[in-house]
Amino acid sequence: MNYFSAVISLLRDRSEFLEEIHNSVKLKSKISALMISSFCFFAVYGAIIGAFHSPLQMLSSAIKLPALYLITLLICLPTLYIFNVLFGARQTIAQHFTYLLTAVAVIAILLCGFAPVTLFFLITVNDYHFFLLLNVAILGLTGILGVSFLYQVMKPIASDDTSDSVKIRTSILRFWLVLYGFVGSQLGWTLRPFFGSPGQFELFRAREGSFFSGVWVALLNLLS
Amino acid sequence: MKSELEDLKITEKELESLSGLDVDEVFVGGVFGGVYRPSIFQNSMRFISFCVAEFFVGMLTFIFTLPIGFIVIRNYSQSVNELPIIAQFFQLTLGITLIILLGWNFYMWRGTKRLTFLLHLLDDIDRYNKVVQGIELLDQLEAIDHLPVNLENREQVLAALQVTRSSLVSGIMTEKILRENRGLLARRQDLLAHIESNLVTLRSIEMSDHASEYGQLLNEALAISISVHAEVQKLSGSPGS
Repeated sequence: MNYFSAVISLLRDRSEFLEEIHNSVKLKSKISALMISSFCFFAVYGAIIGAFHSPLQMLSSAIKLPALYLITLLICLPTLYIFNVLFGARQTIAQHFTYLLTAVAVIAILLCGFAPVTLFFLITVNDYHFFLLLNVAILGLTGILGVSFLYQVMKPIASDDTSDSVKIRTSILRFWLVLYGFVGSQLGWTLRPFFGSPGQFELFRAREGSFFSGVWVALLNLLS
Repeated sequence: MKSELEDLKITEKELESLSGLDVDEVFVGGVFGGVYRPSIFQNSMRFISFCVAEFFVGMLTFIFTLPIGFIVIRNYSQSVNELPIIAQFFQLTLGITLIILLGWNFYMWRGTKRLTFLLHLLDDIDRYNKVVQGIELLDQLEAIDHLPVNLENREQVLAALQVTRSSLVSGIMTEKILRENRGLLARRQDLLAHIESNLVTLRSIEMSDHASEYGQLLNEALAISISVHAEVQKLSGSPGS
C-alpha cells in the first residue's frame, strides 16, 4: 500500500525526503501518507495500552492516541507558522505541516518499536500504576526523540538567512517545542482514560486536576 | 540501452512538474483536496486502495470531530459512562463525520467532471508506460534466451514511443495552461496541429512484421496517439471549456 512507502522512504533516506519537502515535491501525497501511516501506528500502540483494561478500552484508546498527537499538531501548527513567517521564513504552511507530520510519524514508528516491550509488561504485570508510569516514560521518551528530530530538521532552514533571524527563529522553535509538550500533555489528560483504571469502562473521565497532578498521584501510589 | 527506456518513461515526478498536480494511481492532487481517477472502477486493486483511503479519511475526520463532541459534553462534570451522554457524543461526532465524508465524495465527483481531459490523458500515459515496460521485458527475455535481437524493429518502436511521448507531454502541458487560463483558443490550434503531425509521423513508420511483439507494441503506441488526438479534438471542439 502506498501510504507506508512514504514512511519507508523517510527511514531509508531521510535527507532526500527532507530535501523533497524543502522543494515542495509531492507534498500532498506526503501529507496524506504520513497522516494515514501515523494513524495506523498510533492506533496499534493505543490498542495495546487499552488491552490492559478491556476490548472496549482497546477500541477507545486506538482512536484516542492518534487523536492526541494529531489534534495537538493542528492546535500548535498556526503558532509555529505565523511566528516563523513573521521572522523571515519562506516555507509555506503546507511545508510546515509536512515537517511536523514527519516528526509525528517518527514518534509513531518509535512507539511501534516499543510495542513488544509494552506487550510483554502487559502480559506479565498486573499493577495499573506500574503500567501507567511505564507508558508515561515510553511516551515521554518517544516524544522527546521526535521533538529533537523536529528541532534538527527545522533548524538548518534558518541558515538561509541572516544570523539575527536565525537566532530568533531558533528561539521560536524552542519555545514552540515546550508549547507542544504542554498542549499535548493537557490534551492527553482531557482525553483520558487511555489505560482504563480497574473498574467500569469510562469513555471520558470527569474534568478535574491536570496532567502533572495525575502523574504525581500515580508516583505516590507506586512508592507507597 | 536501459537508460533510453528509463528516459522514455513518464514518471510521477515529471507528471507533477508538467501538470502542477500530484498524480498517483488512485488520486490526482492528493487524497485531501484532490480527485479520484475514474479508472479505479476498472481495476480491482486500485478500487481496494481507494476504499482503504476512504476508510482512513473517515477515521481521521472522526478524530478531528472529537473536540466538537467535547464542547457539547463539556458541561457534564461527571465521568462519561452513561449511555445517553455517550449516545449524544457519538451522534454528534459520527453525524459530522458522515456529512464531511459525503461532502468530500461529492466534491471529488464534481472534480472528475472538471478534469476529464487530464484524467483520460493520465490513463493514456499509464498505457504508454506499460508499452515501455513491455520493451524492457522483451529485452530481459532476449538476454536470457540469447535470441538474435531484432534491432531494427526495436528502434522503430522506440522512435514511435518518442513521438507518442512528445504528444502526451504536449497534451499535459497544454491542459495545464488551459486549466489555469481558460479560453486560450490559439493554444488549442497549435496543440492540435502538433499532435496531428505526430500522428502522420507515426503512421509513416514502416514495420516488417506487424504480428511480432514489436509490431504489436507499435500498434499500441499508434492507438495511444490516436486516442490523445481524439481527446484534444473533443477539447478544442467544446467552446469555453
